[in-house]
Amino acid sequence: MNVIGFIRDNASLVLAYTGNHIALVLVVLALSLGLWISTGLLISRHERLAGAVIGLGNVIFCIPSISLFGLFMSVPGLGLGRRTATLVLVLYAMMPLVRSVHAGIRSVDGTVVDAGKGMGMTGLQLLLKIQVPMAWPAVFAGIRVTVVLITGIATMATFIGERNLGRLIHQGITRGDAEMIIAGALIVSVIALALDYAMGRMERIIISPGLQVQGGERPRVGA
Amino acid sequence: MIQLEQVSKTFRGSRQPAVDRITLRVKQGDICVLVGPSGCGKTTLLRMINRLVEPDDGMITVDGRSIAQMDPPTLRRTIGYVIQQVGLLPHRTIAQNIALVPELLKWPREKTARRVAALLEMMDLDPGEVGHKYPHQLSGGQAQRVGVARALAADPPIMLMDEPFAAVDPIVRVRLQDQLLRLQQTMQKTICFVTHDINEAIKLGDHLVVLKAGRMVQSGTPLDILTQPENDFVLRLLGDDRGVKILDQTRAETLMDPFADAAAQAAANGHRVQAIDPVKIALERMMLMNTDEITVCEGARPVGLLRWNAIKAHVHRISGGAS
Ligand SMILES: Nc1ncnc2c1ncn2[C@@H]1O[C@H](COP(=O)(O)OP(=O)(O)OP(=O)(O)O)[C@@H](O)[C@H]1O
Ligand SMILES: [Mg+2]
Repeated sequence: MNVIGFIRDNASLVLAYTGNHIALVLVVLALSLGLWISTGLLISRHERLAGAVIGLGNVIFCIPSISLFGLFMSVPGLGLGRRTATLVLVLYAMMPLVRSVHAGIRSVDGTVVDAGKGMGMTGLQLLLKIQVPMAWPAVFAGIRVTVVLITGIATMATFIGERNLGRLIHQGITRGDAEMIIAGALIVSVIALALDYAMGRMERIIISPGLQVQGGERPRVGA
Repeated sequence: MIQLEQVSKTFRGSRQPAVDRITLRVKQGDICVLVGPSGCGKTTLLRMINRLVEPDDGMITVDGRSIAQMDPPTLRRTIGYVIQQVGLLPHRTIAQNIALVPELLKWPREKTARRVAALLEMMDLDPGEVGHKYPHQLSGGQAQRVGVARALAADPPIMLMDEPFAAVDPIVRVRLQDQLLRLQQTMQKTICFVTHDINEAIKLGDHLVVLKAGRMVQSGTPLDILTQPENDFVLRLLGDDRGVKILDQTRAETLMDPFADAAAQAAANGHRVQAIDPVKIALERMMLMNTDEITVCEGARPVGLLRWNAIKAHVHRISGGAS
């Protein structure tokens, strides 16, 4: 088996697929973060909505991806291509993101919020200056799961016309070409790992050192 | 001035009111101490003053204005609040925690920084050392002092302090208490102070409010309460050393025999206390000198003689008769 050889011999094709793959993942990620983080914040403030919204996210997440792609493809106005792929992947990202934001906000120590309120913070200030910064660790965990997930499921979008790394895997299976399958899988993993690494770096910048409690220190939040 | 008029609160789901028809007045510049056993409603009463808890009944006014008409965040920025659980923001440095209210009030950055440094020093914390730390890097007692500094930050005219010194060791606690009293002489804030330590209450309070199960059992100056406890509950709260506590609250001049003439004045012995010193100090000095009497002075001028018998008789009259 010579996976490196295969990639070298088909460099331009592999490069094009990789580019498409990354482009799709990044667009989906941008849309998902905006949409689902705000949804998560919204349901944290309106707890009555939370059950329904999280339930919906769970249901969508449980539908096999291939059938979801197929289903949306047949919706008039969507059809084959990027638009359907993006929509479906954004829907998949709903569960991990909305849930982690909601859980993150809820996990914030009530006495800290109470202190902020007692100092004269308004509801919005409490959210932006206390709840969101304190929820970041949980939210980031959700974002990192989502990145890896989206990068993987994006391969399935090849069935609705996406020319991405899924195509290498799919064609490799139909042709019984192991090198092709492994090449596709390998690059997908590398992309996932790279994005996860980038998120890890960003996490260190965004999350306050006060919340990044290292081993040996006392994890006493708020007191 | 803070005024509570027949204020009550029953939390949803509980049958007993947490606060039951409390009427109370805290004068400008006074320290009012709420004291009582755990669960008697001290925190609830305090939190009604900054509207973190809304009363079911009654009326609360600050400087004559009903707080029910005020915007809660605006009201709270004028009232320093030291919460019982400290509640520092874990994602902010100590300096940023203290700067919270100045930040909400949009103070210029430099003014805030100067204020933060001054407050850290006031609380016996090294600004260079502690300012950049995060709350999880502090000891419980240090965190509590930062909580006090945060409440003082914007120099609010009113302070609500919920067991602010509970977690500091006895030595630092005494220092912080002394400091609060010293600062209060110049700051003249209106302070509501919660504690379940009767000694702290007597030491700090201009006015004591004894609570039990949401009801006010007794209120008055520490000396009023020490000398005329309302019932057995207050008596038990005051402890077994009520007589000694009274001596700590009584000025030497109140028990002395004033000098009748210049001759007696001239004969005054060498051991002296000041007229405004507590009798306890006089007693301590008498025991050290192994003498039964001590000269009471106003400045350098001897004004009377305090005798061991007078002290004994005083304590006997007040506490011996009652218990
Ligand atoms: N948010 C709440 N919901 C329901 N009950 C409450 C709430 N806060 C306090 N209580 C109840 O009200 C009563 C008074 O509580 P409070 O916290 O005022 O007591 P406390 O005197 O401050 O006690 P401690 O000295 O232990 O702090 C208690 O019986 C308590 O269980
Ligand atoms: Mg309390």
